[in-house]
Amino acid sequence: MSFDVRLRVDERVATIELRGELDAATAGRFHDTIDQAAAAGAIELVIRAEQLAYLSSAGLRSLVFARQKMGDDVRIAVVGAPETVARTIRLAGFDHSIDLIDV
Amino acid sequence: MAIDYEPASAAAPAGVTGGGPPAGAVRVTCDRAEGRAGLRVPAALGSLDEVARFVLDLGGRAGLHPSGLYRLRLAADELATNIVVHGYRGAPGVIAVDGGIDADRVWVRFQDDAPAFDPRQGMRPPALDQPLAEREIGGLGVYLAYTAVDAFAYELVSGRNVSTLVMLRREGHPRAPRDASNEPTAE
Repeated sequence: MSFDVRLRVDERVATIELRGELDAATAGRFHDTIDQAAAAGAIELVIRAEQLAYLSSAGLRSLVFARQKMGDDVRIAVVGAPETVARTIRLAGFDHSIDLIDV
Repeated sequence: MAIDYEPASAAAPAGVTGGGPPAGAVRVTCDRAEGRAGLRVPAALGSLDEVARFVLDLGGRAGLHPSGLYRLRLAADELATNIVVHGYRGAPGVIAVDGGIDADRVWVRFQDDAPAFDPRQGMRPPALDQPLAEREIGGLGVYLAYTAVDAFAYELVSGRNVSTLVMLRREGHPRAPRDASNEPTAE
């Protein structure tokens, strides 16, 4: 089972594209990418999740790290997450602090 | 990965008793006539894929609804991660996983020889009233597991941790998430 993460920064908007399965074995790569986005001085973080097939609590921890690292003023959005993934985000209550956007 | 077929008489509890392979190896046993199968994996995060494949295959053969199949995998993944991180804590070890398909349910059982601990006791529902950046998120994985399945049981058997996940086989629509507002009690 595969996982891939890509980062693009345009006009201080960081876009992270996630593909595959995000679990405890792969979350470190997502974590590192968030670190890179924060280091680039991003004022907005958009996480494209259309191709994210699976999300465990390890991925949720990375979202907490993103909020901690980037601060409350940075908008964080998860875009296009499949319903199963979105359900996990909502069940953890993360949709109170992170925009969960359907496409 | 070797796949061994065993006679029905060897099915209970399949894949967990007797002298298994050493850590570092993966062994899968399967008894399709009894609807049971099992595997043994090293207690490492690198084994999560193997556990996921096992659970997805089992739940798929049981005809679980896709959302139910996802939740069973989520629960199994969180439980396996918990055993690796909080059970063995980096020490070498083995996780034995077996499962079966009954008329009304699918079950997956995890057995490990880490120090005795009931993973459900570490469950912490999310603190929705706290800002995300200030959240204590330890226990979230077990919370996700507990709310994902229809039953999550634990018992200590001869010094071995035994946790069992159960998902009912429903026709048609999936059920609503289970309420985890009441702490579970050890069984």
